[in-house]
Amino acid sequence: MGFFLDAITSGILMGLIFSLIALGLTIIFGVMNIVNFAHGEFLMVGMYIAYWCNVLIGLDPLFGLPFSIAAGILLGLASYYLLVRYLLRGPMIAQLFGTFGLMLFIRYLALFIWGPNFRTVSHGLLMGKSMLLGNVVVLDLSKVVPAIVSIIAFFIVSYVINNTKVGKALQATALDAEAASYMGIYADRMNALAWAIGGGTVGLAGGLMVNFWYITPEVGLLFVMIAFATVALGGFGSIKGAFYAGVIIGVIETLVGVKAPSFKFTIVYAAYFIIVVFRPQGLFGWKE
Amino acid sequence: MEGIKGAIKDALDFSDFPKSERIGIIIFYIYLLIFPWVVSSSFARAVMIQFLLFALYGMGWNTIGGYGGQVALGKAQYVGISAYTVAMMMILFNIPFWVSMPIGVFLAVLWSFMIGYPLFRLKGHYFAIATIAVSLVLQDIFRNWEFVGGERGLSLPFKGTPNFLYMQFKSDVYYYYFMLIFFTLGLFYMNWFRKSRLGYQLRAVKANEDVAASLGINVRWAKIKAYAIASAFVAVGGAFYAVYHMYIDTSSVMHLELSILIALMAMLGGAASLWGPIIGAAILVPLDRYLGSWIGGAKGLLGLDLIIYSIIIMLVAALEPRGIWGIVEKVRAKRG
Repeated sequence: MGFFLDAITSGILMGLIFSLIALGLTIIFGVMNIVNFAHGEFLMVGMYIAYWCNVLIGLDPLFGLPFSIAAGILLGLASYYLLVRYLLRGPMIAQLFGTFGLMLFIRYLALFIWGPNFRTVSHGLLMGKSMLLGNVVVLDLSKVVPAIVSIIAFFIVSYVINNTKVGKALQATALDAEAASYMGIYADRMNALAWAIGGGTVGLAGGLMVNFWYITPEVGLLFVMIAFATVALGGFGSIKGAFYAGVIIGVIETLVGVKAPSFKFTIVYAAYFIIVVFRPQGLFGWKE
Repeated sequence: MEGIKGAIKDALDFSDFPKSERIGIIIFYIYLLIFPWVVSSSFARAVMIQFLLFALYGMGWNTIGGYGGQVALGKAQYVGISAYTVAMMMILFNIPFWVSMPIGVFLAVLWSFMIGYPLFRLKGHYFAIATIAVSLVLQDIFRNWEFVGGERGLSLPFKGTPNFLYMQFKSDVYYYYFMLIFFTLGLFYMNWFRKSRLGYQLRAVKANEDVAASLGINVRWAKIKAYAIASAFVAVGGAFYAVYHMYIDTSSVMHLELSILIALMAMLGGAASLWGPIIGAAILVPLDRYLGSWIGGAKGLLGLDLIIYSIIIMLVAALEPRGIWGIVEKVRAKRG
């Protein structure tokens, strides 16, 4: 029983990180109907920024977070203004390949600059510390804190989107970009905002993940696939959906990982396929 | 009998293309025919074989992705199924290539029907990502399946002497010409396909699914059929890959990047045109290989070849989403 509870809790903790990674992807999709293949690469850049802050100026990964967020926002904005804007005119397939090209570009640029080595942040406030929950479940602090930060980030983003003027403008663009533009909302600016939020949140996720994950230029691919599954499971464009779907996927992945480690992500993809075939709009989706 | 004769006539009939295109393709084809006699570098020949292989993949993808407009990104799984079938049958039962290839293609097509049926309930991005997901599941299964070699992959046994039945030759010239035969047959098939009933149905589906359905086209079934044809094409290529390289593993025949590359080449050249996939492969394959051999191996320049490659992909996607063939047509339209 203890092992089961352990797996469930660590699945939830990991799942909250998956949710945070998927948050940006689902917002970008919701606002402008684009699937961003380079999303995992944004994550990778966030991780490298946190790593270099740690190595070069001795900043703890927790205090490096603002830098990771800033890097993610800049990357998102640069991607939008330099590439995605021009992709919007083309058909869906050109958009997919455009962001796929961006993915290759960022990944191999990172390889070019930083080399193929696996890197880890070895010292940090959270590392190697754990706490007991009810004497049964051991909680690893390096995962608990990122999970809590992820929840806070979800609260802030949902608050901004639901309760502020600019958030409502963003929603209006997501619902109908043309109608929104008649109301005086610049779709272009809202798109840029979506990419900034998307980049910022995934940069934050990257900064959090260096606490417990290795860093390489290739790290993005695995997580972008999980993020796709998360977004599709929750429903493209749904923030609530991304949150719950991430947790579900985290739990599935950890539970399977205990019994058959090499199949833990296989199950995630298979579950995604089965769910999406029976419920194409995802669990909480509103966008076809 | 009449139907078959008509189909063959259609397949060999290129008369609806402008004269410049017909002359262009004849010159290009003569070049392909004499290539091994002109160029003796084994690297250049390997690049050409890879070009023909990817042109075949791209032509197959063009049925569902180009004419049908469905962004299928899991084609590598069918390459893998048939490559693994050929390899396993040769290792276990010593079955010649010409017997195992049709079986491999059959299995790939069978799997494509099983997957295509649920898959085509989905549309747009959902469909695209679901094709990736299925492909990844299959890749994971093969990677962890000890029976088919798992992570180590499969090496095909050497027969010692050059052998037509097992497609083992001393010189790569033979591989080149066999690949050229597959390529030629594929080209004729596609030339028939674009004028066939299914070809027109798919274009109608791509233009507007609801209208197509209201005209009495069974939209889902048309897509499934085209998906199966595409799978058969890449499966032939996969079978050839296995005997040509003599070694396969999941990252060489089932990887996501192969799936995307197949679609990318067709799109870059120009989807939904007969020449598009050929042009795409003719540009991307040599670009990739020569960049890789010039820069990729150099010290301190790790990844630079792929950076250049990705910049080209982004430029084409942003500036001319209809691909290189789109540019040609634009220029032609301007001339009147």
